[in-house]
Amino acid sequence: MTKKKNQKNDLNPNRPTSPHLQIYRWNLSSLTSIFHRLTGVALYFSVIAISWFIIFYSTKINVGETETCDCLMMTVMRTIFILAAIAITFSLYYHFCNGIRHLFWDIGKGFEIKTANRNAVIVILSALALTIASIAIVVYLKLF
Amino acid sequence: MNKIKIAPSTKTGSSHWLMQRFSAIALVPLTIWLCFSFIEILQDPQGYLPVFFAYPFNAMMGILLITTSLYHGSIGMRVIIEDYITNSFKIYFYIMLVNFTSILTGVASVIAILRLHLLG
Repeated sequence: MTKKKNQKNDLNPNRPTSPHLQIYRWNLSSLTSIFHRLTGVALYFSVIAISWFIIFYSTKINVGETETCDCLMMTVMRTIFILAAIAITFSLYYHFCNGIRHLFWDIGKGFEIKTANRNAVIVILSALALTIASIAIVVYLKLF
Repeated sequence: MNKIKIAPSTKTGSSHWLMQRFSAIALVPLTIWLCFSFIEILQDPQGYLPVFFAYPFNAMMGILLITTSLYHGSIGMRVIIEDYITNSFKIYFYIMLVNFTSILTGVASVIAILRLHLLG
């Protein structure tokens, strides 16, 4: 009986999907949690994009000539992708810091509401600070 | 009780949960390496990038970083797909898409880094 029902592909459309986004009041922990997911998805796609950039780049290189990259990708990256680079940098730092917070949760530490909220603020601030520091380093060394 | 419909499970939750954490721990030093190596690369992207992967350490860390992050990311995408999609056919379709994309990108970028390593 139940087996027959499980074989149907479509589940009850009224069933709410697991992390509810609309019905709860926003607070710091739900905000950091959903932002962790969003930055994770963004990082997944940017890792794929950067990998394909490396693949594209490796096909441009030949043994004798290493300066073949007068290529489109470099100029495009310089002009258009700077904003995307800043966004990816922030995503990376945020996901990194919040991931460490999640790892501490996994070993059972930091569950008190006060500690969790304080750590959320620390995570957001340190991600912002690291992003600003990276931009400062890039600007200071005139890397672009 | 018969009216309860069970959410589609892909049956591998606990091992994926653990592997997600393992790959996260592995990604911590790899990400720190990435941040420092980016400063090196960005000083002269056109000149230094071919040389960069010529060093065995950089090639090793690059391959490890890309494969581990794609693994971590594909598990994460799988969890998100399982959470937000209610049609079990679509769940398997999207998981398959994510896995195929990750494996394709991973293999291709390993070959690319090896090529850069051997030519640089």
